Amino acid sequence: MSKDMEQLYQERLDRYWKANHREKPDKVPFRPFAAECAGAFYGYTTQDVTHDVDKGLEAVIKMCKEFDIDATVSNMVYVWTGYTESYGTKYFGVPGIDLDVHESFQYREPRTEDGAFMKEDEYDILIENPTEFVMNVWAPRISKYFKAPGEKNTWKNNLAWLKCGLGFLHYGNKINAHVERMRKECGVVSCLAGALKAPFDIIADKFRGFRGLAYDVYRQPDKVLKATEALAPHMFYNAIALADPEKKVPVSHWMHRGATGFFSEEVFKKFYWPTVREITEEIFRAGYQTIFYAEGTWGKNLKYFLELPEGSIIFHCDKDDIFEVHKVLGKKFAISGGVPNDMLTFGTPEDIRIRVKKLIETVGRDGGFILDAEAIMQQDIKKENFKAMAEACAEYGVY
Amino acid sequence: MAENKSVKPGVCFPWEEKKKEYPIIKGDEKTIQKVWEEFDTLAYLTLWFLVTAM
Repeated sequence: MSKDMEQLYQERLDRYWKANHREKPDKVPFRPFAAECAGAFYGYTTQDVTHDVDKGLEAVIKMCKEFDIDATVSNMVYVWTGYTESYGTKYFGVPGIDLDVHESFQYREPRTEDGAFMKEDEYDILIENPTEFVMNVWAPRISKYFKAPGEKNTWKNNLAWLKCGLGFLHYGNKINAHVERMRKECGVVSCLAGALKAPFDIIADKFRGFRGLAYDVYRQPDKVLKATEALAPHMFYNAIALADPEKKVPVSHWMHRGATGFFSEEVFKKFYWPTVREITEEIFRAGYQTIFYAEGTWGKNLKYFLELPEGSIIFHCDKDDIFEVHKVLGKKFAISGGVPNDMLTFGTPEDIRIRVKKLIETVGRDGGFILDAEAIMQQDIKKENFKAMAEACAEYGVY
Repeated sequence: MAENKSVKPGVCFPWEEKKKEYPIIKGDEKTIQKVWEEFDTLAYLTLWFLVTAM
């Protein structure tokens, strides 16, 4: 490894670490969650970077070499549809198969109770043994090939499990090698390791669906609550299992149905928050911070996050007013985000420069700020605006 | 697997159940248990990766 590149990596890691811990580093770190945009910058279609992970990772390396990026996600196009097709996943709209090659992958939620991946009377099975539920009940419903115990199976069905297991290791090996390339060739930090999901989100996103869960919280609230509690230790285990062994970068938490547009504050307080608080505190006790990637608007639910230990999270702000979020959470936690995605798509480089300057002078004034877009950056953002974001961070972000 | 009733995170098919399949273990049981559990945890992580990441 080039000494200069390693030195650059260490400087960026130190900068990122200090900002995450609400310290004032030498400069505000630029940490873009760059997804399909990285491919678009270098001539790849969305199909290319979603279905062929090697192309997606190569695009990230090119981006890291061109721009002054402190840290980024190793692969923000996080669903590798080539892998999910190998075991026959049903719930994705896949670019190049179901969708135009320039569209991003889509989750397709079953529209009826009959199509739900978990039925309304199956909570007890989930609660009894979540892992067995995933393999024997959920997986056979989300895959064209997986079969439930007792169902007739063929070589295609058996092959699907083989490919699924090997693909997991294959993907892990690719990501590990890629993270090393980011470090050695670009001096860029892989900004996350380990992924957490809220138990309530798992039920909403993957098992019952939003519609089903919206009924369940009123029709069978005790079952929903017990299911979140049964899932919690598994979510913790999975987050920590793939976390950074050196504990330098945070665990990610992709937060969905706790946003204010989906459920009431009462539902949030009763079903969403207790297990999220418990897991986040446990992760912090284990030596890790968690990035709350709070998609959507969290408004009146923000105050609950103040119950967490100081420095235990980095709050990533999507559609809330980041200046107001900073007032509520900034004394306990670092804040990331700040540049609207629509500005990155439709605005000008000058718009971006003005926005970045304002963010750094307010939210970033005392440290504890990490510059990013509001949401993950997809194929529609302009490269010149991304460039302006990086350059404005370097120009205005020096403390 | 009807015998898979463990809810412990990181485990699909517990060693305690697997061990019953061996009439006797002539060598070092801890070695056999360790390697069984390594593979079992990989299976566990794969399954939950589908749920949490894909």
